[in-house]
Amino acid sequence: MLIIKELRKAYGKHHALNGLDMEIADSTLYGFVGPNGAGKTTTIKIMAGLLKPDSGSVEIDGQSVLHNPREMKRKIGYVPDTFGVYDNLKVSEYMEFFSSCYGLEGLKARKRNTTLLAQVGLGEKTDFYVDSLSRGMKQRLCLARAMIHDPQLLVMDEPTSGLDPRTRLEFRELVKDLQEQGKTILISSHQLSELSELCSHMGVIDQGKMVIQGSIEEITGTISTSKPLIITVVGKTERALQLLKKHRLVRTITVRDQDIMVNFAGDADGECELLAMLVEAGVAVRGFLREPGSLEAVFMQITNREKERVVLSYEDDESGL
Amino acid sequence: MKMMNPVYKRENMVSSRSVKLAMILLIFNGILALVALLNMYSTLAQVRVTAEIQYSSFLDLYVFVAVLEFVMLIVIMPALTAGSISGERERQTLDLMLTTDMTPAEIVVGKLMSSLSTMLLLIISSFPMIALVFVYGGVTLKDIGMLLMCYVAAAVFIGSLGTCCSALFRKTTVSTVVSYGLMVAVVIGTFGLNQFAYSLSQMHADSYLAAVGQTAEQGSSGGLIYLLLMNPTSTFLVTIMQLAGSGLVRLNGDVMSWFGDHRLNLLNGNWVSASIGVQLLLAAVFVAVAIRAVKPGRRHIV
Repeated sequence: MLIIKELRKAYGKHHALNGLDMEIADSTLYGFVGPNGAGKTTTIKIMAGLLKPDSGSVEIDGQSVLHNPREMKRKIGYVPDTFGVYDNLKVSEYMEFFSSCYGLEGLKARKRNTTLLAQVGLGEKTDFYVDSLSRGMKQRLCLARAMIHDPQLLVMDEPTSGLDPRTRLEFRELVKDLQEQGKTILISSHQLSELSELCSHMGVIDQGKMVIQGSIEEITGTISTSKPLIITVVGKTERALQLLKKHRLVRTITVRDQDIMVNFAGDADGECELLAMLVEAGVAVRGFLREPGSLEAVFMQITNREKERVVLSYEDDESGL
Repeated sequence: MKMMNPVYKRENMVSSRSVKLAMILLIFNGILALVALLNMYSTLAQVRVTAEIQYSSFLDLYVFVAVLEFVMLIVIMPALTAGSISGERERQTLDLMLTTDMTPAEIVVGKLMSSLSTMLLLIISSFPMIALVFVYGGVTLKDIGMLLMCYVAAAVFIGSLGTCCSALFRKTTVSTVVSYGLMVAVVIGTFGLNQFAYSLSQMHADSYLAAVGQTAEQGSSGGLIYLLLMNPTSTFLVTIMQLAGSGLVRLNGDVMSWFGDHRLNLLNGNWVSASIGVQLLLAAVFVAVAIRAVKPGRRHIV
């Protein structure tokens, strides 16, 4: 459905996107997560045709968004992070206006708008001024507006920010319904917990690059090996570090306080072998632990960039210990 | 297929149900009517006392109403257009429109058309006041038509200027200030430049003539007179003064004699049509710039 390759965009000296790659399959609910300023809105605006990238490609069903903007607009429904409503219009007039922007007028437009407003739960509010609607209702109205032309792909930029928990829940149900109807949906957020329960697929962006993406299962699987092993030894730390340095599956070693944190690319069997190796070498191991992975944990790990003392990485082991 | 420009349709719908437009119409036409009726009353009172009818005072009334309307037009038009695009940008609705089938050209033209139709409504609603002069004669329907053309050209020119500023600047406040600044530069600045050049040339001529012992007055603003082609006020003054030379306005209907003697050429006899042509051409340039500025991905000033 949607394929983004090597997307780059800079605002002056600030590089918002640094070669972003993304792939979204048909009928998936894709969570696009990243900290504030990671490049989510820039990516979404490029998808919606509101920004031009410096380089890279965005394709929907094999067609370039950048080269066929008018055709692509028909395939994308865009819900921005702000409501974008005219307060001096009634709900029905708001919908009629955007329908006419898509060339949909008269009875056909009225029927379509009635259906959409009923779908988002605003069927009873058609004669209300937009100004009088609550935030949640305004957001639902924006969603109805984005679906006027029946797009294949719905792109929502932090749609639930500023909504209360109940309204969020209702909005999530609405989004799930849309996915069940076969729509491909991309939702961005900086709150992973919100998307992890809702989405079937997810991509984590940081500093303009996709750090990890795939189905929730795939990402959780990756997390279990991406979490570091925390090894606590009693004495003989130097010996332990020498052994770990030589192991082929050890990627990096970090010492934090009394713990040796090892990025270990092996599975559970590999972990057993590593422990046995340390014990056989006479290293007294007091603790050997890999925390169970969670999406929140990997998000924090990827995006926090904690200031740890990295004493060895596999690549520069010439420094010696 | 779009039957009518959606932006124009929406703007008209919103303004037609707003009290603001009705109030503007009421106040504006109320002032015009009051001035016209007082003028008529004083003329008739004078007739009763002197038994003489001063027909020129009816023409003065016509000139006064026309001038008042022109001043209102050039003052209101930037206010109507300077926030048209930047307002959409501030409300974050411009992006939404750009993700639909609407083109930047349709958005800009829709906005400009709605401002022009508001202005046209004001002009047309005041025509009964201007038509009062028909009672006494001296002004033909053709003259009124010319005046209308002059108004429309001025409205299109200043409206396009305001819309262009609105598209170029992110904030409505900045756009409004720049629109008025440019409008003043065109309306007053071109006259000021001509006056300055004329005064300089007069000083130069006077000193030369004093040296050779003659006293005949010479000098002119030179080629700067053609800057007035883009000034809607010059078009208006020529239109109105050709019809009704009045003590209310110092200038006569011959623009070439305003700032010294200029050579006769094609423009002299066709000043009104030439200046309307220049203003419409500039308006087209402003609209093109606005369309370019509205296109997705463009960066805006302030």
